[in-house]
Amino acid sequence: MEQLWSGFVEALRLIANRDSELWDVTARTILVSGFATLLAMVIGVPVGYVLARGRFQGRTVVLGVVNTGMGLPPVVVGLFVWLMLVRSGPFGGFELIYTKRAMVIAQFLIAGPMVVGFTSAAVQALPEELPDLLAVLGAGRLRTLWILCREAHLGLLSAIMAGFGAVVSEVGASMTVGGNLQQSTRVLTTAIVTETGRGNNDRAIALGIILLVMAFLVNLLLTAVQQRTVRARGG
Amino acid sequence: MNVAVEGLVFRRGRRTVLAIPRLEFASGRVIALLGPNGSGKSTLLRLISGLERPAAGTISFDGAQIPPRERSQAIAFAFQDAVFVSGTVRENFDLALRLRRLPEAARAARIDEAAGACGIAVLLDRNAHQLSGGEAQRANLARALALRAPLTLLDEPLSGLDAAGRRQLLHALPGLLRQFTRTAIVVTHDREEAVRLADDLAVLVAGEVRASGPKASVLRHPPDPETAELLGFTVVESEGGLLAIAPGALRVGDGAAPFVMQVDAATEAGSRAEVSGWIGSAPVTVAVDGPAPTPGTTLAVSADARDVVRFGR
Repeated sequence: MEQLWSGFVEALRLIANRDSELWDVTARTILVSGFATLLAMVIGVPVGYVLARGRFQGRTVVLGVVNTGMGLPPVVVGLFVWLMLVRSGPFGGFELIYTKRAMVIAQFLIAGPMVVGFTSAAVQALPEELPDLLAVLGAGRLRTLWILCREAHLGLLSAIMAGFGAVVSEVGASMTVGGNLQQSTRVLTTAIVTETGRGNNDRAIALGIILLVMAFLVNLLLTAVQQRTVRARGG
Repeated sequence: MNVAVEGLVFRRGRRTVLAIPRLEFASGRVIALLGPNGSGKSTLLRLISGLERPAAGTISFDGAQIPPRERSQAIAFAFQDAVFVSGTVRENFDLALRLRRLPEAARAARIDEAAGACGIAVLLDRNAHQLSGGEAQRANLARALALRAPLTLLDEPLSGLDAAGRRQLLHALPGLLRQFTRTAIVVTHDREEAVRLADDLAVLVAGEVRASGPKASVLRHPPDPETAELLGFTVVESEGGLLAIAPGALRVGDGAAPFVMQVDAATEAGSRAEVSGWIGSAPVTVAVDGPAPTPGTTLAVSADARDVVRFGR
């Protein structure tokens, strides 16, 4: 308990002193995880929509794969991406291994299935006839997708929260493909592992608290938007 | 807008849902598509609107074939289940008119006009997802009418309404259709609705058009017993075939086509009685002047020859 308290005090001290490494690691965490989540949204939302509305052979199998992907162990994803990007791997020529880009790719593979799965569930919960209504009213494909996303945005916000929450807190994939290089690929989770290994428990706890507060603030913002919508609908 | 269907075939998997060699919906008319559940009525509306693609055949509009994606500008479609996006009823109407590229200034007037005519002006600022079933159905109809499309497709527009609301809308709908559209195709499984609303009838059974044309002609000459039953005829067994008795044609006493009715129950209403019973295995009802016959007895009833259609075996 005492150690937790001293960690909390250390966290406040680091923030108050504007510890440059702390801000560096925090900014990198937001950048990598934010970009991976954004990429997962841009690709995952249309894919989730097609899976929800499309009628094609093998759809159930694809949905099953997506649902399995929602629970992929990050370290396994990291290993897979490492094998792909390592110098001797099929994409080794791109020299992405141990870079932030490699971390984004790994985190995208973790967040992507979540966004696809949540989007698919949210779109399937909409009235079956809604896309038909928009089609007969003359809405084009993009407009229809936009309106349906607006209608399903409570579910989509859940997708962002789940995706961001999963990637910001994972350590296995970032460590494997990023290499935890100081001032380059170190993020909050890998920094916590490093500080714990060095015996700097106070600093590790401080980083953990900052990670929790950051995740909480992002989720608080999204929850506030979600609940404002629920109130507006009179729900 | 004239709609002509030629050689239309629609399949779901290996099952043929619709097969229509030729069917025409004349411009300026209200046409009822009458048929039992699963006969392909709603599917035909979806094909006309372009929501479904046929396996074969063509649908032309005023003689021209319009690609499915371009049909929306000429067609208004009210689905059987009222569907709305989040927001007020007014916002839903506005979205529909915006998608039809109507300028902002014209939209408000159009919304007020359609809502007023359909008696839902008070609902315009209500949350569309909080309407009752009947309110939602009326708003659904009003939204389609607000588009003032040359062709309006209505799928069971009176479903979900209570008895009073249904009566009221059944009375008002022909006038509304005249006011807001040129040609209307109304899907219904109810003979009364079809007769009250339409100028022309098309009867669909198991994906085939069994009869079509002006209402009076279709009602008088059903081509087969199944169609006759759909049109409200009482179909009874007779020697060498089946007889279809036109709705309301049966009366007590002798006539050109006599029948024996087994009395089941009688309800007295003033000087008259409503007698229900059976001719063979067909349920029938006749009005009787004077005292009601006793249940379990028989009653001699008849119809005029012109009200009876004979079908051979």
